[in-house]
Amino acid sequence: MRLEHDFTVPVPVEQAWAVLLDLPRVAPCMPGATLTEVDGDTFAGTVKVKLGPIALTYHGKGHIVERDEVAHRAVIEASGKDSRSAGTAAATVTANLVPDGTGTRVEVVTELTITGRPAQFGRGMIADVSAKLIGQFADCLASTITAAPAAAAAVPGPEPAAATAAEPEPAAAVPVPVRQAEPIDLLRLTGSTRTGRRLALMAGGAVVAGVAAWLVVRWLTG
Amino acid sequence: MIPAAFDYTRVSTVDEAVAALGTAGEDAKVLAGGQSLIPLLRLRLAAPTVLVDLGGVAGLRGVRDDGNAIVVGAMTTHAQVLADPLVAAHAPLLAQATGTVADRQVRHRGTLGGSLAHADPAGDLPAVALALDATFEVAGPAGRRQVAAADFFVDYLTSALGPGEVLVSVRVPKRPGWTGHYEKFNRMAQGWALVGVAALVRRDNGTIAQARVALTNMGTAPVRAAGVEAALAGVPATAQAVAAAAAHAAQGASPTDDLSASAAYREHLARVLTRRAVMAAAHAT
Repeated sequence: MRLEHDFTVPVPVEQAWAVLLDLPRVAPCMPGATLTEVDGDTFAGTVKVKLGPIALTYHGKGHIVERDEVAHRAVIEASGKDSRSAGTAAATVTANLVPDGTGTRVEVVTELTITGRPAQFGRGMIADVSAKLIGQFADCLASTITAAPAAAAAVPGPEPAAATAAEPEPAAAVPVPVRQAEPIDLLRLTGSTRTGRRLALMAGGAVVAGVAAWLVVRWLTG
Repeated sequence: MIPAAFDYTRVSTVDEAVAALGTAGEDAKVLAGGQSLIPLLRLRLAAPTVLVDLGGVAGLRGVRDDGNAIVVGAMTTHAQVLADPLVAAHAPLLAQATGTVADRQVRHRGTLGGSLAHADPAGDLPAVALALDATFEVAGPAGRRQVAAADFFVDYLTSALGPGEVLVSVRVPKRPGWTGHYEKFNRMAQGWALVGVAALVRRDNGTIAQARVALTNMGTAPVRAAGVEAALAGVPATAQAVAAAAAHAAQGASPTDDLSASAAYREHLARVLTRRAVMAAAHAT
């Protein structure tokens, strides 16, 4: 899933770039995100996603893949896993800063991949919610950069803000379209359990057949 | 698949349920028929610390006549709704739509209140409740309150119920002179509706005097097709007029894209199904 956001902030590119790369500063912009570790260009953290009765906590890490001080372009990859549901999320976030009059236009492109039960569940709900979260992140990023005091411009910071976005929805290297598996209607017993039941029956049948075959072979050879 | 560990409380009154939810805090969940919640638990997409089971609460099941409305207890199963003479007499749309919910086994365990409180945008009954202009009675720590269907469905799987609140009953106004129909489309039997349309019309001789149309799965919550309702008011109950009004069905809706259907296809479905639902509701020719 490709998500694109862009916004304009009334500060020069250099200043926006500095704020953008200040990871601890922009991390709180991601709804539900907590940064647990920042070490140079790598970071670790968690992102909690709550949707009615569904609660997912992705633990993951990320790193800055590219940091082009001249072109003002940063690429961050992050990925994480929700251990309970065995789902993964991965994001590659590319942030481009372009001078726009006296301000700066920030273009954020996120390639988001969600796998596992959360992806299969609910007919795109989780993907839709993730997209909303990243939208909120971009909005917050805009106001954070705008609000940043001029002093922030001082030194180009180490971590791209985009990293933050990435960290939340953990990212694997290769961006793939969202769900590849056929969505399963997990909410309802009908589809999924029926399939489960059928699988169980098939598995049971296979075991019975195997045991029978083994007995026959033993009987023949014995 | 085995759910994560949770505590289980079976209560016998609504007050006990509210108290139990208050004690358990935000990670508690109410268990009604379990047809949506249990699969979520088994997949570990939900892991509440406490389940408060309403199965033993007397008085939450059944339908009663309340003058100009019928009141359906939240724990009334779909099968009970289908068999109820009051529902058949005063809210036949609810019965007809309930008959399309899942399969027979699910309908014998799943409850009206449970499917409404679950607030799944692809669930059939939220749009039906919206079309019927139902009112939900909610019990909470601060006492009872009434929530209109239009205010109840907030977002994906999110209703206006607070963490300590329980849906008690659904009040459906009687609508003499109105007829309704629920039309849905899914890719496979018993699948979730790609789109569903609940239509209610009041005919005045050969014309449609008034209409209420609500859509399933055309956004994060059920939506009224206001454009269709306006376009239907006062038009003759003919196929041509209904089709022209149904062309407005997707206005204001924001359906999602997923692997089952694109947003554009859902908009197309909304128009087609609205035409069918209104035609059937109005007995139009």
